[in-house]
Amino acid sequence: MDDFQSGEETAFVVDEVTNIIKEAVEGSIGGNAYQHNKVNQWTSSVVEQCLNQLTKLSKPFKYIVTCVIMQKNGAGLHTASSCYWDNQTDGSCTVRWENKTMYCIVSVFGLAI
Amino acid sequence: MADRKAELERKKARLEQMRRERKEKELSKTRNVGDDSKTSVKSSGSDASGAEPDDILREFGISPAPEGSPATPKKAAAQSQAVKEVEVPTSVSHTTPRKVRLSVAKVNETSIPPRENVSYSKETQTIIADPVDKDDDDNDLDFIENLEGSSSHAHQFRGHGHSHGHGHTHKMPHVEMVAPATTSEEQNKEHKKQLSEEEKKQILMSEGFQKFFDHSSRIVERALAEEVDIFADYSGKDSGGKDDEAMAGERLKVNRDFYDDKWSKHRIITSLDWSAQHPELLLSSYGSNEDATNVPDGVALIWNIKYKKDTPEYVFHCQSPVMSSCFAKFHPNLVLGGTYSGQIVLWDNRVNKRTPVQRTPLSASAHTHPVYCITVVGTQNAHNLISVSNDGKLCSWSLDMLSQPQDSMELQHKQSKSVAATCSSFLSGDANNFIVGSEECLVYSASRHGSKAGINEAYDAHQGPITAIDTHRVPGQIDFSPYFLSSSFDWTVKLWSIKEQKYLCSFEDNSDYVSDVQWSPTNPALFSSVDIMGRLDLWHLNHETEVPTASVVVDTNVALNKLRWHQTGHHIGVGDDMGRIYIYDVAENIANPKADEWSKFVRTLQEMKQQATEREEDSTLLGSAAPIR
Repeated sequence: MDDFQSGEETAFVVDEVTNIIKEAVEGSIGGNAYQHNKVNQWTSSVVEQCLNQLTKLSKPFKYIVTCVIMQKNGAGLHTASSCYWDNQTDGSCTVRWENKTMYCIVSVFGLAI
Repeated sequence: MADRKAELERKKARLEQMRRERKEKELSKTRNVGDDSKTSVKSSGSDASGAEPDDILREFGISPAPEGSPATPKKAAAQSQAVKEVEVPTSVSHTTPRKVRLSVAKVNETSIPPRENVSYSKETQTIIADPVDKDDDDNDLDFIENLEGSSSHAHQFRGHGHSHGHGHTHKMPHVEMVAPATTSEEQNKEHKKQLSEEEKKQILMSEGFQKFFDHSSRIVERALAEEVDIFADYSGKDSGGKDDEAMAGERLKVNRDFYDDKWSKHRIITSLDWSAQHPELLLSSYGSNEDATNVPDGVALIWNIKYKKDTPEYVFHCQSPVMSSCFAKFHPNLVLGGTYSGQIVLWDNRVNKRTPVQRTPLSASAHTHPVYCITVVGTQNAHNLISVSNDGKLCSWSLDMLSQPQDSMELQHKQSKSVAATCSSFLSGDANNFIVGSEECLVYSASRHGSKAGINEAYDAHQGPITAIDTHRVPGQIDFSPYFLSSSFDWTVKLWSIKEQKYLCSFEDNSDYVSDVQWSPTNPALFSSVDIMGRLDLWHLNHETEVPTASVVVDTNVALNKLRWHQTGHHIGVGDDMGRIYIYDVAENIANPKADEWSKFVRTLQEMKQQATEREEDSTLLGSAAPIR
């Protein structure tokens, strides 16, 4: 009990984070159609929820959460990101979610402290 | 177990301590501002103990992060100042000397492809729908030149106009914007100028204008070409004096020649035909021009001898050299051509197209070899187009539907030997029986229908491929229709009767390939032949059977390829292999038959028959099969 590994859970667990993100997105914009006046709220809420859940994990991580909501209009969207970090401990995870009217892309980067 | 309890108690004590210290720090926040350096020093100093409070905290479910995150450097400094041993959880990162190996991570890509819009656009034009023909290949010439220059280019302009017309009709709406304001006069001028240029183009491209232009250019051309008197046929000659006759009297005289620089240059004339409905129109078909590359291979031109203009009335072309052509006898507007590829094409001079309006298929059901013989046989209401190709296939077509032959037949002689037909001629007034000449030096008589459909008899006397066959068709009291002429590469022309196996008479005055022969349409005893030395011969059998009655050599010494008598019997059209057609006038005393011409001819024929039988006897005596010269 007192013998806690210092490396316990100090690696970014992608699956866990993915789940968190999915729940956050579903919760915020779940069955909604794209509405321009509400999108701001949604992005903020997604990010906040994600972050809250992530911090609840109590891991020694710095998190960066980004959320992009794009209306389905026929336009193309292309993003890319790369990181320079410690591959053993740090990680990122991106979740793409969509419904009939919009796309939502959430990225979480976790950097071990 | 006891150790554990002791440990727990120790940890609890430390926690309480830490709590107390934090409270103190909060109070003393404001006092300590710039003690960052001390913090770092102190932090490095107390490494080992820093790990423990973290663990303790975690044990108790308190995450160090939220408490540490709002920590400003002031707070950190305050905290670290107060506590020397315990380290602020925020500075955990400095305590554990983890080996940090940094490297570039994989690039994270997200892409959402754009939606592909499938769009379908269709334009319809309701006004000025030009029948744009894709085969139209008149690509040169500035149409502005044509307006001023000779209207021989009228046809090309027409074609050119088509391709432009299509483009212009799109731009049609309201292009004429008036220039910016100037004085009223200038404005008017400019306005006029602009209008006229744009309008000009528009008008020139419109269908109505082109039709009018085509029609009136013909008329103007004729008017321009005319000199003072219209009866130029009988007065002076147009194409310079070419009075080459060996015989006395002007029996054969060049009237004029037809030659078009663009369309007939370097092309061999493959057939000639006079129109039945318009006797002044002459159809000539041409083979390919090897010198030029981007011109169509097959050309057919219609010339007019009534007017002095020296450009063709109509120009038709197609993609394969035209080997034979004829007017569709009962349709004054249709022109048929048999091509080298085996395709038979139909041109219509009512349509503004130079390309064929109908074509036969290039398949095994039709012809796949060059079509050397096409004729329209029958009557006004029941006629067919008969075509014979070089592989011995005979097809009969209906002019309405050239997509498949009505009937086809293989001409085979004896042991299924196909006839390589080069020429054919139907017997006068007969749509069933005809004569075919072949490359194998044989002449065959054949029928289309009936019990004896196919090749009936073979006439073997020539030593060279047959170039032309002509059956007698002069109407009169006595019918000479069984008699026909054949000309061949063996320098001879032979007269036959279809009832006899052996020829009646052989005319051997030529010293080179005889390329064409034809009976006169009016005089039963007269026929004409041309050879490739440029010689045009007129044979009047009632006068002389050994030598031609009149003979003329064409100036330029080119090979003459085709000849065709005019319906009146007064003109002969002769085509050479450089694309030039000469129209010769035949003197009336020769051309017109006298009253006793027919009976005289009967006697002539009898004499010939006698000679033929004598010849036969001689040959059998000598033991040779065929009389050869």
